[in-house]
Amino acid sequence: MSHTSDRREDEPGVAGAASRTVAPNDTPAVRVTGLTVAAPDGRLLLNDASLTLRPGRLVALTGPSGAGKTTLLRAVTGLLPPGTTRTAGHVDVLGHDVFSLGERALRTLRGTRLAHVGQDPGSGLNPRMRVRSLVRELAADKSADAVAALLAEVRLPDDGRLAARRPGALSGGQQRRVALARALARRPDVLLLDEPTAGLHPELRDEIAELLRHLARTHHLAVAFSCHDPEVVERFADEIVHLGAHMPAPRPGAPRTRTVDSSAGKGGSPLLEVRDLHVSFRGTPALTGVGLTVAPGAAAGIVGVSGSGKTTLVRTVVGLQRSTSGTIHLAGTALSTGLRGRTREQRRGMQLVTQNPLGALNPSRTVGAAVGRPLRLHRRCAARDVRDGVVDLLQQVGLPAEFADRYPHELSGGQRQRVAIARALAPDPDVLICDEITSALDAETGRAIMDLLAGLRERRGTTLVLISHDLPLIAGRTDTVTVLEGGRVVEAGRTAEVFAAPEHRATRALLGAATTAP
Amino acid sequence: MSTTRRRAGLAVRLLPALLLTGLALVGPWITPHAVDAPVTAPYGEAGAGGTLLGGDQLGRDVLSRLLAGGRDLVLSSLLVALLVTGTAAVLGAIGAVRPLVGRVVERIADVLMLLPAVLGILLVTLSWPGGGRLAVIAAAVVLGVPYAVRLAAGAAAPIAGAGYVEAAAAGGERLWYLVVREILPNLRAVLLALFGLRFVAAVYLVATAGFLQVGPQPPAADWALMIRENSSGILLNPWSVVAPGIAIGLLALSVNLAAATLAPQTGRKAVTVL
Repeated sequence: MSHTSDRREDEPGVAGAASRTVAPNDTPAVRVTGLTVAAPDGRLLLNDASLTLRPGRLVALTGPSGAGKTTLLRAVTGLLPPGTTRTAGHVDVLGHDVFSLGERALRTLRGTRLAHVGQDPGSGLNPRMRVRSLVRELAADKSADAVAALLAEVRLPDDGRLAARRPGALSGGQQRRVALARALARRPDVLLLDEPTAGLHPELRDEIAELLRHLARTHHLAVAFSCHDPEVVERFADEIVHLGAHMPAPRPGAPRTRTVDSSAGKGGSPLLEVRDLHVSFRGTPALTGVGLTVAPGAAAGIVGVSGSGKTTLVRTVVGLQRSTSGTIHLAGTALSTGLRGRTREQRRGMQLVTQNPLGALNPSRTVGAAVGRPLRLHRRCAARDVRDGVVDLLQQVGLPAEFADRYPHELSGGQRQRVAIARALAPDPDVLICDEITSALDAETGRAIMDLLAGLRERRGTTLVLISHDLPLIAGRTDTVTVLEGGRVVEAGRTAEVFAAPEHRATRALLGAATTAP
Repeated sequence: MSTTRRRAGLAVRLLPALLLTGLALVGPWITPHAVDAPVTAPYGEAGAGGTLLGGDQLGRDVLSRLLAGGRDLVLSSLLVALLVTGTAAVLGAIGAVRPLVGRVVERIADVLMLLPAVLGILLVTLSWPGGGRLAVIAAAVVLGVPYAVRLAAGAAAPIAGAGYVEAAAAGGERLWYLVVREILPNLRAVLLALFGLRFVAAVYLVATAGFLQVGPQPPAADWALMIRENSSGILLNPWSVVAPGIAIGLLALSVNLAAATLAPQTGRKAVTVL
């Protein structure tokens, strides 16, 4: 391939196409016909799926979680999930049938012409390598300028420090962009992305989607991405492929016969109070004097661009991260920093659902064991009723009862996220902290999950803390909002007031991006 | 691959280890001749006097002594490998969850690793003269754990940082539960490989001890002892040395093959490749 990254901006699409070895425009780069993939137990992960990608076109894969979006994208790379088998159909990539291609030829194809960015790209980054080596490792042009240009292209301008960081020091959104830069570094013909916009704030989400369209047009890339954000699909995709649903709809507002913890009752004093919290990673401050106050039964939102310290804040609150100074009070009791000094009851009181659904479940335990364990540990129901309790929790998050016997690797990203939510609900927490929980879910399931949380709040008085890039969600579902920027609280107050009259530049920037969206 | 074919493949790779250990365990009862009485001339050739593998330095039947001499070695080595792997797995996992404990354990391991194995065996057996095989086992465990614990700690570290371990810790689980239910099941592949390695190391150590006449004493039948006793007659009846040597080698190979077979290849991975 002849184009170079620094020529990308001004290179007209036609010239780009002419200089490439790819067949003319109307020849599909990828053609999937009638693909059927079965799991070891005979369930169909994909049923008669078809997909055609053409150079220069952006194709969106939509469908509820569990519909097979990830499986279809993986099938294009010739790599099906372990244990699954292709029972029918063909996958034709750049003139090769990937399932009849030898191991070596397939590897060459994947290495030079195809690029795939997974759903949780952070886990694919070597934690020991710095960002610049991660990108250079795959780059066709290994010069420092080319690497800097690639990072700038994915809107990660190198401020002199970012390229020297390791993945552990990047936020989820930054990791995603580094993975995208790695994919582009190979200058592929076909770019496959699994949920590239999940967990990004609206401004960045639009930027990434815009970038994908720009790449498709100027370099004649055939791009396919799975997405559950209807807005992105509507605005950016040239073509939409909808995969059918296999899943029942979540059962919102299911009644639960649980005793309401009296400590969760409404009262004057705040249930969760964080004051002057300082956290630093090896001397680099991540949070500086952050405060957060949540009244019993209230819903609090935390917003901010990626890397602003939202996740660090909630991890410190639940004790997974130690703070250097500051206090955390739950129901008037001071909590120790870190988990060690907290009682089991204090740990039960706050539950965190994390951003990354892939690592959140133990791969060697079934869903039923994962969800049932908190029920047993905190004696939420009698031992013989645990099984029923698990089924009830699964149904609340919209998963059928038979999922209790499955292992996490048999679930899609969205399904795992729902299991993680069910596990967090199991111990009847007083405060439920959700870090971007709807970003991996399709719009409908996301709404049903939020309705479920709202119902819990109403019935049980569960206090919610929501982190989200989805500002309409924050606006509609929270009472108060805290805006973070660079590890500091720049604005806090009632959600309606803050969103109606934002005072700080950062808040306006976030809202601006959201309101310009149609 | 169909399930039945996979099962058959599994059985084929487990068979050598099962057969060999089984033979070593029941060997003492199926010897064709007495193990302690001469049946042929010293270093008698194979076939002489009804012996399949000839006679040893005193004319005793090599095959009978081979059958009788493996049990203690196999049992000791299995016990040592199990103890070393188990101890290292638990210490490594605890170290991964509690970094302070981990650092202390690793520093101690560093120091113990400096002790040469043979010197360690001599130290333990000299300070515990009546210990016999128990002393050898104790020495092999103490010498093996430091190596194994470093490996187990390294493998457990990324798992201890995984979301599900954090979720369990934040959910109020105690250390023991985190180690036994959350971390160790995901280390199955590493621990099985470690077990195979430690078994070979244990065979090597126990056999070395036998060769040095620490532990089993003549006239006991023992593979390592046979190699030592009969080495002077290797030209007269090579089988008296080669047969126990092959037995020790096959034992190490077959157990490693079995351990590798039992390790999970695909499937329960949280993060898929690509």
